[in-house]
Order: sequence, then structure tokens, then C-alpha cells
Amino acid sequence: MTTAQVSATAEPSPRLPPCGSWLAVAGFQMRRLLSRQRLLLAALGVVFPAAVMLAVRRTAADGLDRDLAVTMLYALVPEAVCMLGLLVTMCPAVADELERGTWVHVSVRPGGRRALLLGTYLTAVIWTGAVAILAILLALLVARVPQPLPLFGMLSALVVVSCLGRAALFALPAVILPKRALVASVAVALVVEYLAGFIPAVINQATVSLRLRSLLVEWMRWRQQLPVEMQLLVDPQPAVVQLGAVAVLTIAMLAVAVAILEYRQFPPSDEI
Amino acid sequence: MIEVVDLVKHYRASDGSVVRAVDGVSFAVAPGEMVGLLGANGAGKTTTLRVLATLLKPTSGTARVAGCDVRTEPLGVRRQLGYVSATTGVPDRLSAREIMRSYGRLHGLDEKPLAGRIDQLVSALGLADFADRPAGRLSSGQRQRVSLARALVHDPPALVLDEPTNALDVVGARDLLRLLDVLRGDGRAILLSTHRLHEIEHRCDRFVIIDGGRVAAQGTPAEVLGPHACLEEAFFAALGQGAAS
Repeated sequence: MTTAQVSATAEPSPRLPPCGSWLAVAGFQMRRLLSRQRLLLAALGVVFPAAVMLAVRRTAADGLDRDLAVTMLYALVPEAVCMLGLLVTMCPAVADELERGTWVHVSVRPGGRRALLLGTYLTAVIWTGAVAILAILLALLVARVPQPLPLFGMLSALVVVSCLGRAALFALPAVILPKRALVASVAVALVVEYLAGFIPAVINQATVSLRLRSLLVEWMRWRQQLPVEMQLLVDPQPAVVQLGAVAVLTIAMLAVAVAILEYRQFPPSDEI
Repeated sequence: MIEVVDLVKHYRASDGSVVRAVDGVSFAVAPGEMVGLLGANGAGKTTTLRVLATLLKPTSGTARVAGCDVRTEPLGVRRQLGYVSATTGVPDRLSAREIMRSYGRLHGLDEKPLAGRIDQLVSALGLADFADRPAGRLSSGQRQRVSLARALVHDPPALVLDEPTNALDVVGARDLLRLLDVLRGDGRAILLSTHRLHEIEHRCDRFVIIDGGRVAAQGTPAEVLGPHACLEEAFFAALGQGAAS
């Protein structure tokens, strides 16, 4: 070994744009997700909605009503599967690194903390989104709903919106309370998404669940059929407004989470 | 290259009391110099190193790496510093090459020069035999070498190592310290904390002994040893605990 071998060449290396480091973390996190347990969990997420749809179809003598099938699929996939998938993939964003002893090594890189959060966010969205879209595909095949293709497109779009918005929401407990992120995220899901989201007041405007329900009603053209009391639970604005609101919420929550993470200090005793 | 002046770091404990982990520490490490940071558990070594690595913010005082202040220019510090810890944090499922590639990209290094840099480190640090093996199947010594390679991927002029030989056997520790000799010869400033005094007694250019967050003694080996026969004796004397039994 010679000293010249350890030093880099004098030429400075070209630099990647910042998203290059996010993608590096995403690739790294994706490799971690390819474990037997995580794949089994993902398979369960794919099969569970189809199993429910199959059970319901068998009890319905005249086949499954299309609107009922869509409502069930919405509750099962963009809501349940996405929530559970994001809880598993997004909540441990910081806690996993502290426990594995990788936090210090990521944090001492320029932009490492930001890359860690945004790379994990990308991974959570891609992984959960892929599981959820496969779940919709399988469930639609099993449910034998008429005209399944437009439904597949619409539910897939709802999955993407759900994953983008809720992964950003779960990024906040992941950075504020890393060691209790899962419990805190479940509380946030229940209180913000399912309690505040169903209160017909200004507070529900800042929830992803209101936007998802409104998109479902808009895209299924259910608005005229909804009873008056149910109309209070959806937003009357067009789809583009709902999508814009989710985009604003997502960017705002991620920006806050990144800012908090940049300033967080973990004493050495936290890394156990 | 590394400069610490009147560094103070206080934590607030869970019971509300203030823990003075580092309380006015000052020292410097010049390019091409290896400095040993010595102290008992809880003396403030790791906290000092973590402030230097921008993982913790100082309560007061200054810490600089290559002219960049940890408080005002943390990104500059991170570009100039390599950090190695006792817990390697090397992911089991990735190979040494993949780990270096991931961390090199965190530094924004482009693919082609990064591949060249990885080849260079694989050769220089003797990783060739296991560079493509998942790290979970490597020995402690091999994992620590991978950790060192990861710290060097962006070719930093300053290296901070927190008890890097803790989990290593005698051979692994010797190999790692020889690598550090090479890196020092390369002109890098190296700050190394350890409990294993005999390993560094004849390797470091200077020692800083800290106790209770304060510098108890510092200087060249001759200055620190003084009348004592070995570093261990000098260490206990600096801590006011008499000669080692």
C-alpha cells in the first residue's frame, strides 16, 4: 500500500444534483425491504383485499354491486393497505438508523439527513404504492366487477395520492418522536385522518382523507346521489383542487420534517 | 486542520438537570498529525468528536475543520471530514463496493469518478478479497476496514475516529492502525479516541487526556509521559488516580 493509492486524483469529481443522493438512499432502503419478512408482509397486503372481495362476492347471490365493490376497494386499499404499508415503511425512517448505528454515518455527509428522509419517503411511496396497485388488480379480478379497467385506473390514482400525502404526514412523527414513531403515527392517523378528517369544518381541509373521499366521489360521479348529510363529508371543489391541496400539504409536511431533522441532535446514548 | 477552542457542550438530562459533557476543551490537530484523545467512559470524548462531526451543536466555544466552523458552516465541515465509529453501522445486506457507492453518492460524487475512487480504496485498504461479499458475512476487522473506506470515499483531509479498534482483535487492530499510519503519511489530520492505550502509545504525535469534560493533560508523548514509564501510568496520573496497578 502506498500513500498515493489512498488519495484521490487531483481532479475534482463532477457533482450529482441533490436528488442523486435521495435516489441513493432510496436504492439502499429498497434493498433493505427485499427481506423475506417484508416480502411476506407485502404479499399479505396484496392478497388480503382480494380475499375480502372473494368472500363478499360469494355471499352475494346476484354478483357484487359495482358501487359497493368500489366503496369496499376504496376502504381496503387506498385507506387500509396504504396506511399499514406506510406505517411500516415510513415511521422507522430515523429510528432504524439510530438502532443500526448508521445515523452518524449518514448525518456526517453533506445533505445526508435530507437525503435520508426524502430517500426513505420515495421508498415508502414506491413500495407501498406497488403493493397497493397489485392489491387493486388482484381484487378487481376476483370481484368480477363490470368495466374493471377504468376502476383500476381511478383506484390506482387514489393509491398514488394516498401514498404521497400520508407518507409525508408520517414523516413528521418519524422525525419528532423517532423512538415512538409507530405509536405516534397511529395516533396521528386516527386523530388527524379519521377524526378531524370527518369533522365538517375548516380543520378537515388539511387532511388527506377529505381529499381522497372527494376525489372518489368526483371521479365516480356520485355527488348528485349523495344524501345531504354525506355531502358535508366531501369537498365540493373539482379534482384539480383536491390534487393541488394534497400537493401543497405534502410539500409543506416534508419541508417541516426536513427542517426538524436538520436541527435534531441525538446524544450518543440514543443510539441503542 | 482540526481546531477546538473552549468547547462546551451541555445536555439536559431527563430529570431536568444539566449534564456538562464537555466543559472548555481546547486542542488542535495539524495536517499529517495523529492525535490520541484519551479518557475514561463519560469523559466527553465521543461528545467532542460528535461536535466536530456536526452531529451535535456546541453550547459555546468553537470547533473548526479545514477552516469551516461546525456551527456556521456544517456542510463545509462534512465535506472535509471522514468519521469512523466503534459501531461500524455497515449494512449487512450490502457489499463494501455498494456501501462505498451509496455513501459516495451522498457526497454527490458522479458515477464514473466514484467507481474509480472505489477501485482505488479497494486496492489501497486491502478490501479486494471481500469487496463484493455482503458485509454481514465479514469479520469485525473487515467490517471496520469497510467503515474506514466509507469514511474516505470523498477523500477528506481530516479523519475522526471514535474508538475504532473496540470490536477488533489484536491483528485487526494492528492492521487498522497501520492503515492510519499510511493516511497520516498522506497528510491527513487524524483525531483518534481509544481506551486501548498500548495500541497508540508509540503511534500518536500528541495526546489529549480529558477527564470530566476538561483537558487534564496534553502534549507530545514526551511531554505527557514526563517521568512515567508508560502512557497508562501517565494517563492515571493525569486523572489524579496514581499509578496503574
